Amino acid sequence: MNNPSSKLLATIVAMAAGLGLQAAEINVFAAASLTDALKQIAADYERSSGDKIAFNFAASGTLSRQIEAGAPADVFFAADETKADALEKKGLLVSGTRKSLLGNSLVIITSVEAAAIHSPAELTNAAIQHVALGEVQTVPCGTYAKAYLEKRQLWAAVETKVVPCASVRAVLAAVESGNVDAGFVYKTDAAVSKKVKVAYEIPAEEAPKISYPLALLKDAPQPEAARKFMAYLDSDAATAVFKQFGFIVLTAPADK
Amino acid sequence: MSSAEWQLVGFSLRVAVASLLLLLPPGLALAWWLARKEWRGKALVETLVSLPLVLPPVVTGLVLLQLFGRRRPVGGWLHSAFHYDVVFTWRAVVLALTTMSLPLFVRAARTAFEEVDVKFEQLARTLGAGEWRVFFTITLPLAKRGVLAGTLLAFARALGEFGATIMVAGNIPGRTTTLSVAIYQAVENGEDAHAWALAGVSAVIAFAAVFVSEQLQRRHR
Amino acid sequence: MKGPILTANFQKQFPGGPKIVAKDLRIGGGITVLFGASGSGKTTILRCLAGLERPQMGTIAFGQESWFDSARKVFQPPKKRRVGFVVQDYGLFPHLSVARNVSYGLQELPAAERASRVTEILRWLGVEDFEHRLPSELSGGQQQRVALARAVACRPKLLLLDEPFAALDLPTRSRLRGELRQLLRQLGIPTILVTHDRLEALALGDEVVVLHDGLNVQHGVVHEVFNRPVSLAVAEIAAVETIQPGRVLSTQDGLATVAVGEVRLVALAVNLPPETSDVYVCIRAEDVSLMRVEKLESSPRNRLAATVRAVAREGPLVRVSLDCGFPLTALLTESGRAELALCEGTEVLVLIKAPQVHLIPFQR
Repeated sequence: MNNPSSKLLATIVAMAAGLGLQAAEINVFAAASLTDALKQIAADYERSSGDKIAFNFAASGTLSRQIEAGAPADVFFAADETKADALEKKGLLVSGTRKSLLGNSLVIITSVEAAAIHSPAELTNAAIQHVALGEVQTVPCGTYAKAYLEKRQLWAAVETKVVPCASVRAVLAAVESGNVDAGFVYKTDAAVSKKVKVAYEIPAEEAPKISYPLALLKDAPQPEAARKFMAYLDSDAATAVFKQFGFIVLTAPADK
Repeated sequence: MSSAEWQLVGFSLRVAVASLLLLLPPGLALAWWLARKEWRGKALVETLVSLPLVLPPVVTGLVLLQLFGRRRPVGGWLHSAFHYDVVFTWRAVVLALTTMSLPLFVRAARTAFEEVDVKFEQLARTLGAGEWRVFFTITLPLAKRGVLAGTLLAFARALGEFGATIMVAGNIPGRTTTLSVAIYQAVENGEDAHAWALAGVSAVIAFAAVFVSEQLQRRHR
Repeated sequence: MKGPILTANFQKQFPGGPKIVAKDLRIGGGITVLFGASGSGKTTILRCLAGLERPQMGTIAFGQESWFDSARKVFQPPKKRRVGFVVQDYGLFPHLSVARNVSYGLQELPAAERASRVTEILRWLGVEDFEHRLPSELSGGQQQRVALARAVACRPKLLLLDEPFAALDLPTRSRLRGELRQLLRQLGIPTILVTHDRLEALALGDEVVVLHDGLNVQHGVVHEVFNRPVSLAVAEIAAVETIQPGRVLSTQDGLATVAVGEVRLVALAVNLPPETSDVYVCIRAEDVSLMRVEKLESSPRNRLAATVRAVAREGPLVRVSLDCGFPLTALLTESGRAELALCEGTEVLVLIKAPQVHLIPFQR
């Protein structure tokens, strides 16, 4: 009599535990430039694991501020190491989980009817009236673009034309609408839009180092599920999707 | 407060005043039409005028963007005919402020006009005054208090405007950044001290505007 | 006889409200009173004449000028009509001084002439000391004069006054009534004055137009209209004190014998259509003479015995209600009453001259 009932009890407990495990919803705060790639990866992951992924895509600076203010998040995937540094300094990251996963290239895009640009110096032309850039303090892409233009000594001339945008996708939208003449986005962003053309790709040796850190947050509501997802992001399946969208996959982890 | 911050305050005040100048003629005209005339479809006009009061400001901003963007009906025409750009310039800020403040002004001015007894206007007409003269010598002076209160309200609203402004003018330092937008961006950037300094200025100006408005109304009582 | 200065023939219907009809209205120079009870349409007609209301159909013409013609779609706005208008509560612009109120209609004049005209008019009306005051600082009577000054300063062709005394208390009213008549006479502008007060109509008007239920029903010289109303309605509006139904028994030599109950009265039969049988008999209280003992020299054809039913003081006068076979009202001075020692129950002799018994044929 004991045996069948205890087996039944064990099954029920296991099922309950399994149900508990299967209902996990992971909050991922990720850089705006990762929108399309991560959505596709998450769709695949949800099918195979049964967990649900909820995304918050925005400029990395916006995300880090929200995390500092106590927004519930499990995973932080930024486009800029300095944003992760800031959180780490405040003790908000779980040590040992931080990893630089991806790289990217910076491109200058123009709206389809704007004059063609063949080099960044042409941004100083009178024909280019507005140049969209991510807000330099919160959007990594904007920070990178400014650093690049300063290095090329074009910043002073271009600064007066700059239209700051809240995220790299906002830059893309501004150029798509034709309300600005040119903008700086990642190559991966330009790839998802048919309404803009890439005028110039900044060569890797001239561009600032673009690196996307991934980390587990200390106050994560679902740390186990989050770790599983982070591991998946490093897997071959995910890597293939990233490459498909044009990201550079870094093989070595960050030196931390 | 640095000189850049004071310039910001100066800019915010200038665009608020500019929006007032832009909204006064159509605002007075609309308020007068709504107060004095009846016509089929009046309810529709009343609703349209009140819309920016009730819609989320960003929606109003969106509508403005759809009209004044470089590829859109009005913006495109302005761009091709006059090389005149609206979005992402100070003109877009004035446009956003005017659109958001107009309904407030019209409501206050309309009430003020409705409180002016029509018999004064009628008597003025028997004395030979044309419609413009009746308006400027009788209706408007008698509605002075309410119209002024409406103007101050519109000014305060314009200064505090955020949603529509950021949609249609963006946040370009020195060119379209207003006080409210600057405060938001400072918080975004984690510059709390800067944000509080600007918020303080904002509060002082709002206090002054309301104080003056109250004094004006008291003197006429 | 001069032709009419203003002719009007129009209808104004208020949506869901009364209908006002000005039927064949002919107004001459001088002062014409529009007389009627409240709500009879007097103010509406005045406003239509001024151009402040627009009738649905009809015509209004001032001399040769067509002010309104619905058939030819003519409508002159108030601005073009040059009409002076004074409203019940004067409507002085509260934010302008007296001088600026009065000069409001004088914009076409050069500044110097404007100023002198204003001073002249204010002086003429006796309010020049208030030139720089605001209307709120003036008494009712002073405001009335300023309103008048403002209306006549631009030398209008027609002056319209809407119940000019309504906003004043009784003593001021009686005092100013005479003054206003004098002023209007001196002005010489054709004037139309609206009132529901019989004393005002008598004091101020040359002619009167009686309005009843939105329609003008009688027009003529004031005392004639009040003494010879053409209908029961007019008689009631004119506040004839005694109105009784009666029957014409016979007419002879221009006199008619009328029976009111058992009493026989003699009245003038002029203007009485032949074959009239049923009439209303109207007798004004002031036309009823009372005496205790008959004097042989008296001539009135109507001598009736009556008993006093009630005596009521009305200011300087006394209203005596009598029963002479039908209810009759007389009006005496207090001294007259005292002389006759009238009180309830006294028997008196009533004398009424035939012309003072007015007959109104029954209107079916």
